[in-house]
Amino acid sequence: MADVSLRNIKKAYGKVEVLHGISLDVKDGEFVVFVGPSGCGKSTALRIIAGLEEITSGELYIGGTLVNQIPPAERGIAMVFQSYALYPHMTVYKNMAFGLKFAKTDKAEADKRVRQAAEILQLTPYLERKPRDLSGGQRQRVAIGRAIVREPAVFLFDEPLSNLDAALRINTRIEIAKLHRQLKATTIYVTHDQVEAMTLATKIVVMNQGRVEQVGAPLELYHHPQNQFVAGFIGSPKMNFVKGTATAVEAMGLTVDFGEAKPMAIPFGGSGATPGDSVTLGIRPEHLGEGTRHGMVLTGTVEAVEHLGEASYVHVRRDDGTLLTARSPGDSRAEVGSRISVSTDVDHLHLFDAEGKAFARHSKADAA
Amino acid sequence: MTSIAMAADTSVGRRKWPTHIVVFLAPAFLVYTVFSIYPLIDTIRLSLYAADETGAQHFIGIGNFVTLLTDPVWSKPFWNALRNNFVFFAIHMFVQTSIGLALAALLSLPRLRGASIYRTLLFMPTMLSVVIIGFIWQLILSPLWGISKGFLSAVGLGALFAPWLGQEGTALITVSLISVWQFVGIPMILIYAALINIPDDLIDAATVDGAPAFHVFWQIRLPLVYPTLGVVSILTFVGNFNAFDLIYAMKGAQAGPNYATDILGTFFYRTFFGYQLQAGSPTMGAAVATVMLFIILVGVLFYLFAVQRKLQHHLA
Amino acid sequence: MPMVNKRVNFNRIAVHAALIFYTLIATFPIGLVLINSMKSRSAIFGNPLSLPTPSNFDLIGYQQVLEKADFLHYFGNSFIVTIVSLALVLIAGAMAAWALGEYRFKGNTMVALYMAIGIMVPIRLGTVSILKMIVGMGLINTLTALILVYTAMGLPLAILILGEFMAQIPRDLREAARCDGVSEYRIFTDVILPLIRPAVATVAVFTMVPIWNDLWFPLILASGNGKQTITLGAQQFIGQYVTNWNAVLAALSLAIAPILVLYIAFSRHLVRGLTMGAVK
Repeated sequence: MADVSLRNIKKAYGKVEVLHGISLDVKDGEFVVFVGPSGCGKSTALRIIAGLEEITSGELYIGGTLVNQIPPAERGIAMVFQSYALYPHMTVYKNMAFGLKFAKTDKAEADKRVRQAAEILQLTPYLERKPRDLSGGQRQRVAIGRAIVREPAVFLFDEPLSNLDAALRINTRIEIAKLHRQLKATTIYVTHDQVEAMTLATKIVVMNQGRVEQVGAPLELYHHPQNQFVAGFIGSPKMNFVKGTATAVEAMGLTVDFGEAKPMAIPFGGSGATPGDSVTLGIRPEHLGEGTRHGMVLTGTVEAVEHLGEASYVHVRRDDGTLLTARSPGDSRAEVGSRISVSTDVDHLHLFDAEGKAFARHSKADAA
Repeated sequence: MTSIAMAADTSVGRRKWPTHIVVFLAPAFLVYTVFSIYPLIDTIRLSLYAADETGAQHFIGIGNFVTLLTDPVWSKPFWNALRNNFVFFAIHMFVQTSIGLALAALLSLPRLRGASIYRTLLFMPTMLSVVIIGFIWQLILSPLWGISKGFLSAVGLGALFAPWLGQEGTALITVSLISVWQFVGIPMILIYAALINIPDDLIDAATVDGAPAFHVFWQIRLPLVYPTLGVVSILTFVGNFNAFDLIYAMKGAQAGPNYATDILGTFFYRTFFGYQLQAGSPTMGAAVATVMLFIILVGVLFYLFAVQRKLQHHLA
Repeated sequence: MPMVNKRVNFNRIAVHAALIFYTLIATFPIGLVLINSMKSRSAIFGNPLSLPTPSNFDLIGYQQVLEKADFLHYFGNSFIVTIVSLALVLIAGAMAAWALGEYRFKGNTMVALYMAIGIMVPIRLGTVSILKMIVGMGLINTLTALILVYTAMGLPLAILILGEFMAQIPRDLREAARCDGVSEYRIFTDVILPLIRPAVATVAVFTMVPIWNDLWFPLILASGNGKQTITLGAQQFIGQYVTNWNAVLAALSLAIAPILVLYIAFSRHLVRGLTMGAVK
């Protein structure tokens, strides 16, 4: 097992730079998930760690060693591909044993490892089959098995669940988590699905357009997103954003006019803002409820109601055109077309400046 | 067939062969049957007949075949042509397929600059008429012009030069190599297409697994193109046992020197049309054609049943 | 992509060297003929490898060729035979491929197999009977004979290629048309035919090249009366004037030139057609 360190890694294809200086530390045994929209550079970063792409500038360390010029096979990594990349003309056994041939593992040892991995992944009955005779989930396990037998320092996963159907995805996700606990292996995992990220990761790296937006534990990112991008990416349904203007600035808070009856004082920022600045409020749907029970109220017309059984999502169109999503209990009686008020507690708010950066929240202790 | 299509057919009156199907199939079916299939069958039929000097034909069963295989007047050139044809094929299989495979492997390397230019130029000889190719090489290999001698001398091998085309021992090999030179583009392109269809992920996985480039080729890429190699082999087989044009263009119907370059195609031509020593014989010609057909069918069936099935089993 | 490091860079040079070496082998003979066809006889022998210079530039070969043989006419013949055959192959082939692929009827598989036989079994072997038939029909020494034979020759492969292509046309298109009550013929002409245009290039490659370059059938079916194709005409001319190097080289050049020009112009299409068709 080993640490992985990226120091200001840049990657360019010709004149086009796709990674703009990524720096990151992955500790031994961590499960780090790179997450972000398509084209954000997460797969490129993974391939760079694997050695399948050249580094344009910057350093990559695996287990303390600089590996920029070292070929993939000698980096102590193993990779699970999105398409599984199983050799169609070889049996499951041969697929898993293939890499060991080149690592010059002796046959007895190789056989032991293959059978052990097959045992863990419940593939023992399929060892003599060819990939084409296996289901998608089984093929995925063979791909994982191929990685396990190499006993790598770092496991790399490139969107491994994308080709599976929804039910299988959940099952395999649980198995991958279990595997991580069993093997205690350093794992770097790429996905565009924030649910996978939230459930599997010990640390999440949110990427956007070749840059790292934020690194942190899943719940850290959920409760304290550092910018609007991360706030909107993590959490489903997406966070609601309401534009507003700061009307007054004090040491311990801002007063924001967000287009409702009266401006509200909220315990954010202070020093960084000036009156007249544009700001954006962030409210998660699960923190926005029907009625006027809580301190901050927004009004609008119900545009749609989605009943999911255990909850309902009420979509409210404000008079200025913004759309809000509020989470209601399953038996919500909201009617399409009617006027509605939704409210949230000031404690659940997020505030972002004009550039999307999050304002620091002042706790009640600060105010005292 | 969809339920809608079925409904359409039912509405035409529940016939097994609705008019439009017949209309669509008829032209191709007719032309093909009249000019392709019927002549083949008729040729086989004709081979069972013999003609006397008046041209009248009478049935003699397999008599023509017996003559062909045993009567020295016919069997000597026949077996010669057959043997030559196998040599011709062997040279193609080994040289053409190897070079084609090598070129395809090189062309399919990732990020190879100028790949499309190479492809275009390498495929050029295949586009040209065999006749033209034959003459070009005759000129180049001609002792009169001296170009080949010149080249060989330049690399110190001048002593090797000989009028290869004119010598019995070397003529067949020379002609075979010229044919290979021309047609190497076909296996090259077909294998190339198969190679670039191998998903990049497989190569990446092999790289991560630690396979050096050579092994990636032999153990991953090559096995995945075996089906294409199979297709190339059978196409080469059929083409070679049907070949005629190049030899005729370079050596005439006599396929000299002294029948050293005679293959089944030229033998067939001579048998059918005749030449100085012998009048043409449609029936014997038909017999030769039938034998050629038989050989090709054996090859094709062998391919379809033995080779293809093994390949299906081998791969997805 | 494999990592680029010193090792791979070195191999890169070897790869290009090998490719360039073989490319020279492949193209040199052709280039040689072309440049020497425009030189004087003494220059051909004295300086075979040099490009034509003002001092040895000589088009006498071409003059002789055009005087003594009707090359333009032969081009015309080849052109007519190839294009008409291609047209017939495309139309009849598309119709048959469509019928075989779309409609389930008794004997569909049998007919498909029947048509496919022609791919593997060469039509030449039936020449004895073909000649008899052509003579019997009074079509000896006509371009029509060639066209009929070549159409029969090209149909099996064309049906295979077009069939594969048609299979990829979404069912929805045809069913929507049927729901609208369009006749099967109109579906074919208005919906299917326009959609198979990309496959036409592939079929054209596989059909036209063998026809243009064929020596066998022109030799046997249409060898006289000015009905020679360019391939046959070139072969006859060269056979006749074999010691006249200028004329021979010029004749060869004239025979290759149109193909070369067309090839270079359409090489991308051709290669793409072959790589597409080959993915079976």
